[in-house]
Amino acid sequence: MKPLNISIDGKERQVLAQVVEGQIWFRLDGEVYNYSLLDLKQSGHKKSKSGAKSPDKITAPMPGKVTKLFVSDGQEVKKGDSLLVMEAMKMEYTLKADANGTVEKITAKTGDQVTLGQLLVQLKLTEKA
Amino acid sequence: MRPIKSVAIANRGEVAVRIIRACEELGLETVLLHSDVDINTRAYRLAKKKICIGPAPTAQSYLNIQANIDAALAAGADSIHPGFGFLSENADFAEQCEKNGLTFIGPSAQAIRTLGDKVSFKTMAKKAGLPLIPGYEGADQKVETLLAEAQKIGFPVIVKAAAGGGGRGMKLINDKSQAKDLIESAQREALSAFGSATVFLEKYLGRAKHIEFQIFGDGTGKVMHLFDRECSVQRRHQKIIEEATSPSLTEDLRRKMGEVACTIATLGKYKNAGTVEFLLQDGEFYLLEVNTRLQVEHPVTEEVMGVDLVKMQILTAQGNFVFHPQDIRVPRGHSIECRVYAEDPYQGGIPSTGKIGYLAWPEGPRRRYEYGFESEDTITSYYDPMIAKVIVWDETRPRAIEKMIRTLKDSTVFGVRTNIPYLIEILDHEEFRSGKMTTRFIETYFAEGIKQKTSDDQIKKWAGVISKHVTETRQAPEMGHRSGPLSPWSSYWRGV
Repeated sequence: MKPLNISIDGKERQVLAQVVEGQIWFRLDGEVYNYSLLDLKQSGHKKSKSGAKSPDKITAPMPGKVTKLFVSDGQEVKKGDSLLVMEAMKMEYTLKADANGTVEKITAKTGDQVTLGQLLVQLKLTEKA
Repeated sequence: MRPIKSVAIANRGEVAVRIIRACEELGLETVLLHSDVDINTRAYRLAKKKICIGPAPTAQSYLNIQANIDAALAAGADSIHPGFGFLSENADFAEQCEKNGLTFIGPSAQAIRTLGDKVSFKTMAKKAGLPLIPGYEGADQKVETLLAEAQKIGFPVIVKAAAGGGGRGMKLINDKSQAKDLIESAQREALSAFGSATVFLEKYLGRAKHIEFQIFGDGTGKVMHLFDRECSVQRRHQKIIEEATSPSLTEDLRRKMGEVACTIATLGKYKNAGTVEFLLQDGEFYLLEVNTRLQVEHPVTEEVMGVDLVKMQILTAQGNFVFHPQDIRVPRGHSIECRVYAEDPYQGGIPSTGKIGYLAWPEGPRRRYEYGFESEDTITSYYDPMIAKVIVWDETRPRAIEKMIRTLKDSTVFGVRTNIPYLIEILDHEEFRSGKMTTRFIETYFAEGIKQKTSDDQIKKWAGVISKHVTETRQAPEMGHRSGPLSPWSSYWRGV
């Protein structure tokens, strides 16, 4: 791929760039960055999908399998408590509560194959985040 | 032994490509045994024949012995190369191959059993007087006995539940004064957690280096070694950066460890390629285990020794061993390998899956890339996240480090995030540069991963300017003829 010559911050720069599945990927000064085109259109700094972090919604940060559930409906949880374990690419990843609250609903069960951004646990927060 | 004409490859990814290359250079036919989702991989495109052995989950495909053997036979292969991981260290698989008239390119099933099994390996090493990590696994569980044994081993000592695993019931005893309390508490925990109070003792190696020797058995009972590698940079026991030779060995240690490696392999009647792993601390070395297969990090040995281990594996399997002792007497220069994983370095290394976009591994003197995917292939969550290995060689270790940093900075992967920025920070760390890193290097300095230095606002600003430019370029009429529907894939390329 040939680099594009683009004026950035007042300087002519060589940039490799490509849109892949809704994200603009580019390489600048030896580093690779990506940004969602949808988020670019929106003002403000919120990211969509996995980036949209709302502490009462525990979503899958990656596609994978739910291997362990530590909580049940109605259970009280504290910030930092482990809620469940996901596995992807032979690696385990523990999802934790970001705030105090109770478990309102669990929308996944052990063994489920889940997609990126899928809601797994709905919390009811004790205090406003 | 009979000559090999057609090799079935019971593996995927970059090692499948590596084996295909070796076979092609030897004029052999290749048969790729793959899962249904792996048709979009480089190995699939390169193999002469390909047979689907089952669906994506490994238990139904890459770990299914019968499916692999049936497919290899159906394709007319006369041998199987298992690569590494999957069935490569499965003695039953090696046995089934031979029973079905397929040459298993690797050690005998018997050697896999004796050397690959921890208990039988330890027994054999102990009998031969080879150095193991000092410990106590006796039946006498009286506190006084355990105390005496702990003192004999020398503090610090780890006490762990015999029935345990994953660190539960494991305690570190730093000196004699706390020993009794900690042993008793470990016994209580072991009893409540596993229903058995039996505990083991083991010398705690908190500053150990991981050193391993590449061994090769010629098939007549003779084993030689092709020097050492150091793989101390590990995250949760997964190696990330490997090098040959180790910066930590004196000539004396190197000679002694090499002898121990050859001794244990000879005792196990080892043939073909294998690796003997050690821990090294304070000038003392301890045998850890034997990996009865080719290693992921075999390329660094190939670079400093000037050999092709995979070709040699195939030739040895058909009875044409061709290493001459004088050819493998001295390693030359220094080689480093980095494993490129599909993960987000700025989010604690969580896996990154998806379609790969543009991919570039720019060539240069003594840069080597081993990769299994190309542009438009998809990284799935079914398998290991390693997407490539980058290997460099240079005359000295400091130069090899500089070359690796340069090479990684030149590489581009779009579509999935990679650990490349993480690797660069590790290589640039003063402890890595000094060569003094131990197996605790990552947990000490990189436990939390790394931070993105550029702010989200800045990236968004750049992304805005660049995406606008890309869109405009695409729409420019002089950008040439375009056929087919507009997609992100055909988007901006055609015009450039």
